[in-house]
Amino acid sequence: MTSTAQDLHPAPTLQPGRTILELNGLEKRYPGTHALKPVHLAFKAGEIHAIVGENGAGKSTLIKLLTGVMPRTSGEVIWEGKPAALATPYEAMALGINAVHQEVVLCRHLTVAANMFLGEEESRFGLLQQRAMVKEAQKIIDGLGFDLPAHVVLGDLTIGQQQLIAAARATVRGTKFLIFDEPTAYLTRKEADQLFKLIRRLKGEGVTIIYISHRMEEVFELADRVSVLRDGTLVGTRNIAETDEPELVKLMINRSIEQIYHKEHFTPGATIVETRNLSGKGFENVSVTVRAGEIIGLYGLIGAGRSEFVTTLYGRHKKSAGQIFWQGKEVQVNSEHDAIRLGMALAPESRRDQGLCLNLPVGMNLNLPIYKRISSNLLISGAKEKVEADRQIADLRIKTPTRNALASSLSGGNQQKIVIGKWLAHGAKLFIFDEPTVGVDVGTKAEIYRLFSTLLSKGAGIILISSYLPEVYELADTLHVFRRGKLVATHGFRTASHEDILGQALAEKQEKSGGQK
Amino acid sequence: MSTEAIPAEKPKRNFNALFGLTLLGLLLLMWIVLAFATPSFATALNITNLLRQGSLIAILAVGQTFVIITGGIDLSVGAIVGFTTVIVALLINAGWPIWAAVFVTLLVGVAIGLFHGFGIVKMGLPPFIITLATMTSLRGIGLLMTNGNSISINSDPFQAFSRGSLAGIPYLFWMVILVAVPSYIFLHHTRWGRYLFSVGSNAEAARLSGVNVPRTIYMAYVLSGLLAAFVGVLLASRIGIGNPTQGDTYELQAIASSVIGGTSLFGAIGSVHGPLIGSFILSTINNGANLLNVNTFWQRVITGALIIVIVYFDGLRRRGK
Ligand SMILES: Nc1ncnc2c1ncn2[C@@H]1O[C@H](COP(=O)(O)OP(=O)(O)OP(=O)(O)O)[C@@H](O)[C@H]1O
Ligand SMILES: [Mg+2]
Repeated sequence: MTSTAQDLHPAPTLQPGRTILELNGLEKRYPGTHALKPVHLAFKAGEIHAIVGENGAGKSTLIKLLTGVMPRTSGEVIWEGKPAALATPYEAMALGINAVHQEVVLCRHLTVAANMFLGEEESRFGLLQQRAMVKEAQKIIDGLGFDLPAHVVLGDLTIGQQQLIAAARATVRGTKFLIFDEPTAYLTRKEADQLFKLIRRLKGEGVTIIYISHRMEEVFELADRVSVLRDGTLVGTRNIAETDEPELVKLMINRSIEQIYHKEHFTPGATIVETRNLSGKGFENVSVTVRAGEIIGLYGLIGAGRSEFVTTLYGRHKKSAGQIFWQGKEVQVNSEHDAIRLGMALAPESRRDQGLCLNLPVGMNLNLPIYKRISSNLLISGAKEKVEADRQIADLRIKTPTRNALASSLSGGNQQKIVIGKWLAHGAKLFIFDEPTVGVDVGTKAEIYRLFSTLLSKGAGIILISSYLPEVYELADTLHVFRRGKLVATHGFRTASHEDILGQALAEKQEKSGGQK
Repeated sequence: MSTEAIPAEKPKRNFNALFGLTLLGLLLLMWIVLAFATPSFATALNITNLLRQGSLIAILAVGQTFVIITGGIDLSVGAIVGFTTVIVALLINAGWPIWAAVFVTLLVGVAIGLFHGFGIVKMGLPPFIITLATMTSLRGIGLLMTNGNSISINSDPFQAFSRGSLAGIPYLFWMVILVAVPSYIFLHHTRWGRYLFSVGSNAEAARLSGVNVPRTIYMAYVLSGLLAAFVGVLLASRIGIGNPTQGDTYELQAIASSVIGGTSLFGAIGSVHGPLIGSFILSTINNGANLLNVNTFWQRVITGALIIVIVYFDGLRRRGK
């Protein structure tokens, strides 16, 4: 198994410690944004180099320049001593540079194997060797220790699994220099562990790695060195042993945060919503109560049925059994429209597919749920529209040149802020946040959590879904653990240990669930 | 190490095959019903006629499918058919040998396809727009060239081709096979076919993988143009004239055949056999309706309804998965 993998990664010729790639005043301007100011930085062969920075700091831009996805505005890239133009993705690949990009960029209609070999198919006499490719792909995936089939259509896998495939694919192409842009954002804990193992092994084989993440503990776990970008400027590079989290955060946002998880406890008020034995596609028998002023956390692996539960509650899918009570009265929620009218708001998990109109301006995206309120009679009030949008942009520190910029031109984390932000002005009673801080930087996370408190203080209730345990752990007044469509355990605020909760979500330990309902 | 964990799910190709079989079943069912309902359906004359009618649209539908798989559309194919009947007629009447006239006519189709590729890739025009523009202007150019008249072709061997048959099957239908077999191999067994799907699925992902996206788009429209010119030659042979207004609504019939055959207008889903069967389903409806003396106006209504029904069930099937 290991031998296969080694065949795939011929040992690079450079000794560790030598410079493999050097950025010489690398710069990128987009119309209206100076995304990357001239950067000077040298990567040592065989190191894991983390890059951190706020949303919109220019991390992904840097990666796009290195992989030939975007042309640079000026500056030089020196690869193994020689300048490299890196004008096309193909050129970067030929050098052995490849990246796992922030959003999964694969073809969901093709099979896993077809995706792995896209652009470099094996063929004989012009005919594709499909069987051979599936076998080969399976060998690579197995060799990496991922438990995934190579012959299925990619779209049938979860986002996290797709991300693993993207990683597997990149290891085939980026034989010398591999970049991971927030790879764990959509991964479950188990998948993330698999990925870390892979990254360490690649490092052992001499591959140089850039690792981008908003999760500080990952940076400290993996990296040898870390560089910080702020507003497109490289503000520092540190050896990991000589720095700590507060220092990095301070470099990133130019101020310090004393507390990321801002938690205020309110006395719970009246019950807002209650489900009794609610069942539907992907989950069964879920009973949950949300009262005013409290956060209900739903933890579990991706695919455990949490999203299905909330979207059913929200009327997108039909329930198959059970009841929903809204402020004490039984209600039928047959559509999203019903849900919104009752006073629910949902910020969905997949920002690209469900949460955003990428081709519309930021302002329009933000105002979409409240056009009714900012219209007088038939016409939209232009002034109100501007005021509302600008207020959201300022409140959430959405990094955009104007409210008229297209949502697609924002950095990943800033897009996420729109998905959240558009519901804040809506004035709902129940807010459902599905993975609200995926890809969001520490500073903004703290702000979003603060906004939660504001919502609670106004008498709203929150359902918070997260696959990132610390988040639900530190914020939820009641924490429900989901596993395979069932609610398997319930805890109060910080009453169980991380290990117990993880165990319940994974069912690795025997089912001795503390505090089961 | 993970062989056990692989879901026992069969590859999607089997679903495609199943869908193909259902369509084929539908086609056969229609034939059986018609054979019992009318005395004239199951006659050799009518069957060869049906095959000839269906063949032209079938070839167009294959070209159209290549384009639709990339997420585009080619509205110009009907106009190309009409235009190329004129070209081939003029060349033959000018005394060119048939093979040379046909070859140059096919090149005209390629050139039109290249122009579409240029408009989409270089000028950034949406496929709908650039092919819509060609659709109207090609017919105009044809009318200018002919002053609005039909050109009768004075070559008997050229016209004889469309009437001939081999092993009891009309030459025109053999042409479908001549197109379909290489198209099938091209689409499902070569990397270029794979690139058509990848561009339709996620052009950015294809680009990042080193796929030459512009070239793939050129390829799709060139193939569509080429096949449309080929159909123009066959049609000219069949009717014995060159006339720029021929092939009216062929583009819509080709798109309809493709869609009935399971091609997704959103791109990335499609096959060769589906559109072929689709086109013969359409021509069977027309043929059967004629034999049953159904008002031709109703034929259009039936065709429209059928498109909705089939595509709806296809969508259900996909979602149900
Ligand atoms: N295609 C584009 N057109 C215009 N501006 C862009 C484009 N892509 C990125 N930007 C801008 O460039 C800046 C840097 O974006 P980049 O994606 O590099 O940020 P990032 O550090 O990766 O952030 P995140 O952590 O949110 O992913 C942002 O202000 C963004 O709005
Ligand atoms: Mg980014």
